[in-house]
Amino acid sequence: MLRRSLTAIHITLFSAFATLFVPAPDAAAKGTPPKEKATETSSAELAALDKALKGDEDSVVGALQSIDDGDKVAAAPLISKLLARGGTEKVLEAALKTAQKLKAESLSTAIAPYTRHRSEEVRRQATRALLKTKGPIAVTTLEQALRSPDAVVRGTAASGLGELHAHAALPELFLAFDKGVPEAAAALGQLCVGAECDQFIGRTGRVGFDIMQTGFDQILFRPPSEVSDDAKIKLVGKLRELGTDEVGKYLSDVAERWPKDGSKRVKQVIDSAAHSVGGGVKQ
Amino acid sequence: MRKTFFAPAALAAFATLVTGCAGSMKTSAFASDWQSDNGKSIAAVRAHLASVPVPTGRGVALGITKTGLIGVGLDGSGRWSYSGVVDSRPSIAGDVVVSTSKGHLFALDAATGKELWHLPIADKRLRGAGDDGHTTVASLGSDAGGGGLVVAVNRSGTVVGTWTPTVDVGIPAVLSDIVFAPWGNQYVSALSLTTGDEAGRLLARTVVSRATAIGGSIYFGENTMLRFDDAISQSATTGGHEVKLAERELPGKPAWYPTGTRVLPPEAGAPDAIRFYARPAEAGDKLVLDSQRFAATYFRIIVGFNEGDGALRWVRTLPAEVIGGDAATGGFAFCDVNGDVWLTAARTGGDAGHVSLGAKIEGCVVDGGDFKIAGGSDTGTLAEQITHAIELGDAQMATVQRFLLRELGTNDDPTITKTLLDLACNARTQPDVLAEARSLLASRRTGIEYMIDALKQHYDFLSDVLRAPPVGPLADALSAVGEKSAAPLLAAHLNDPSDTPDDVKRAAHALLTLATASEFDEIRTFFSLYRATADDDALVAAVIDAAKILVHLGGADGIEVIERAVSDPLTEPVVKQAISSLIPAKTSDIPHAANRTMTRR
Repeated sequence: MLRRSLTAIHITLFSAFATLFVPAPDAAAKGTPPKEKATETSSAELAALDKALKGDEDSVVGALQSIDDGDKVAAAPLISKLLARGGTEKVLEAALKTAQKLKAESLSTAIAPYTRHRSEEVRRQATRALLKTKGPIAVTTLEQALRSPDAVVRGTAASGLGELHAHAALPELFLAFDKGVPEAAAALGQLCVGAECDQFIGRTGRVGFDIMQTGFDQILFRPPSEVSDDAKIKLVGKLRELGTDEVGKYLSDVAERWPKDGSKRVKQVIDSAAHSVGGGVKQ
Repeated sequence: MRKTFFAPAALAAFATLVTGCAGSMKTSAFASDWQSDNGKSIAAVRAHLASVPVPTGRGVALGITKTGLIGVGLDGSGRWSYSGVVDSRPSIAGDVVVSTSKGHLFALDAATGKELWHLPIADKRLRGAGDDGHTTVASLGSDAGGGGLVVAVNRSGTVVGTWTPTVDVGIPAVLSDIVFAPWGNQYVSALSLTTGDEAGRLLARTVVSRATAIGGSIYFGENTMLRFDDAISQSATTGGHEVKLAERELPGKPAWYPTGTRVLPPEAGAPDAIRFYARPAEAGDKLVLDSQRFAATYFRIIVGFNEGDGALRWVRTLPAEVIGGDAATGGFAFCDVNGDVWLTAARTGGDAGHVSLGAKIEGCVVDGGDFKIAGGSDTGTLAEQITHAIELGDAQMATVQRFLLRELGTNDDPTITKTLLDLACNARTQPDVLAEARSLLASRRTGIEYMIDALKQHYDFLSDVLRAPPVGPLADALSAVGEKSAAPLLAAHLNDPSDTPDDVKRAAHALLTLATASEFDEIRTFFSLYRATADDDALVAAVIDAAKILVHLGGADGIEVIERAVSDPLTEPVVKQAISSLIPAKTSDIPHAANRTMTRR
């Protein structure tokens, strides 16, 4: 059973979150360094931002805007602290947007509890932010978010798990897909390996083609190191068997988008299938 | 008040007479200037009839279809059908079935369905009928009331008495040469078939709209049944021998019998699905209820009550809506829309078999007669029976399910807690039932282990847990019993957006007494997330309780969190105002975090 205990995860997240709340300057910055190149931010400037972030709503939003505009990654710990102590919805939404912009993994811990906030906007913004800040906490939180009552949060989480290459989340993604989370299709296409891809492809016919094709797209365009040509050819063969107009159009579209340096063998099969199904391949 | 009686000799052209165009003679029947005779006249009638046996009938169920009638004995014997659309609810009177159809009154043999006689009655319809094995008496009227006609007919179809009272006469009975005609809600006129006059009159203290033969006696009443016996003369004073049902507030306000002065349509309606059933019986010199039980139907659910105190004794759930029935000796026969007649043991509610009318029906009339219902299968404990009824996923049943839940709530059995939790956690539970289950859970003090298990659950889309557990009621219950093991679970629910603000409020309040230092982080997270975003009173109250816990369990850390929140311009003003007084004035007032539990203040 891959499903983790809800309570255990919450406590882990909340404990991590709680450590941020105790005033310990730069404590949150001890995590993985920001991936993006930070603009130079002087300590005086950080001190001023810190002060502004403790002010009233306008002051806080202004400071966040300044961090956002200046792409001041060094201010990430200040945002962590702000999120840890909480704020108004306007402040939280601005802080989460800024966190998204900074893409600092260290922010994931502070963002995580907000994916379960009562405010719809706040929790959706938080879920989106995790896709950018990434890291193990982001993955764990997104896995948890697949269980959310909020369909938007579930969908964002599913997409995020694909983007974050969270292969371990595959069982949950299959479950989510089977329970009608369409965004899980692309994630499954991004993450599946070997028989897992067959498992996904096996859903063809049971789920609308428009949803399935988001996963097929991922499988077909993944590098050969991840999905072999044989697997792609097998998928095209399966699609060819369906023989519907929309399959024809889709294969034709794939053929058009096929990278010039992509597998010639696969391209040939796609062209042939598109032609056979009647997708009108442009040569 | 004008009343006419047509003697047998004048009945050559009955069809003409009922239209009121023929001559008539005045009688004393239904006189409005009658003065109470303190029971003397009805006592004389009783004395006159004392040795006349009252036929009991054999126990018959009668189904009404779009095209006619279907009859079957309650023992399953002699199923018959009759083609002919009826326009009123038929009566089973002794061994005959009486109804009206297309301007005719007709009688069938209840055992075979064979027509015994029919008479023209113009546009009148049947209110009800009685029979003593020789003579049938029927009360007829118009749909809208009035236009009353009481007619007595012998087995060969000869009219032996007719009255056209201006009052609405209810369901009559007949015994020998006397017709009992209830009217005015308080009188029963004993009409002589020989003279047409009133041989006597009963003045009852209770509502009387029907006279009916049950178990070899004639009874008068509606919601109280008064027996026609040697004590009948006391009916207007000490009351005679009467029996009534213990008072119970039940959904749909069932009645023992519908008023007898109305013409009922052939098709059953809601009042037929929501009824009481009971059978008067003699115990020594007292009149009681057979088997000391009465039953109430509410569509598919039947509940059995104890005679004396009205305590719930059993619940039976049937596959289809009950639309008719009667009490027999030792049990009840309930007829459903599918044409099945379910025999139910009166003492236990156990299944005592069933007979089938063989077709779907629109209305049903049952006469228990002298049929005896014995045995009855084991249907489990009362709690199990109630649980089964409550789990019925039928919106129409919600009202009675709430009633049953309240009954269930009085039982301390821990498994009842589980039943209530199952209902409260089930996403398909009707809102009314859910509210009742939650309310009852809050006052439960047993089944703690089930409560703890339920609190471990959270909304989980992937696992099909689509309704959060009843956190608020469980918080109330667990706090009342001081169950400390609930603290981490309740704390986790503070941060679950699937729980309602009210549930969160109650969880936070329970944590005032249950929380330990182990819950500090979870509670602090909740406080931080909502101190500036709490947008309703319940959430604000929860945040304030969380602050109290942080101060008392968090030591310096907790106080610092609150101090910062007080000084933060973003904190909701109402929260800020409430928590500012929590900060100790001196450092020495700061409690130590370790090993502290809360004392609610």
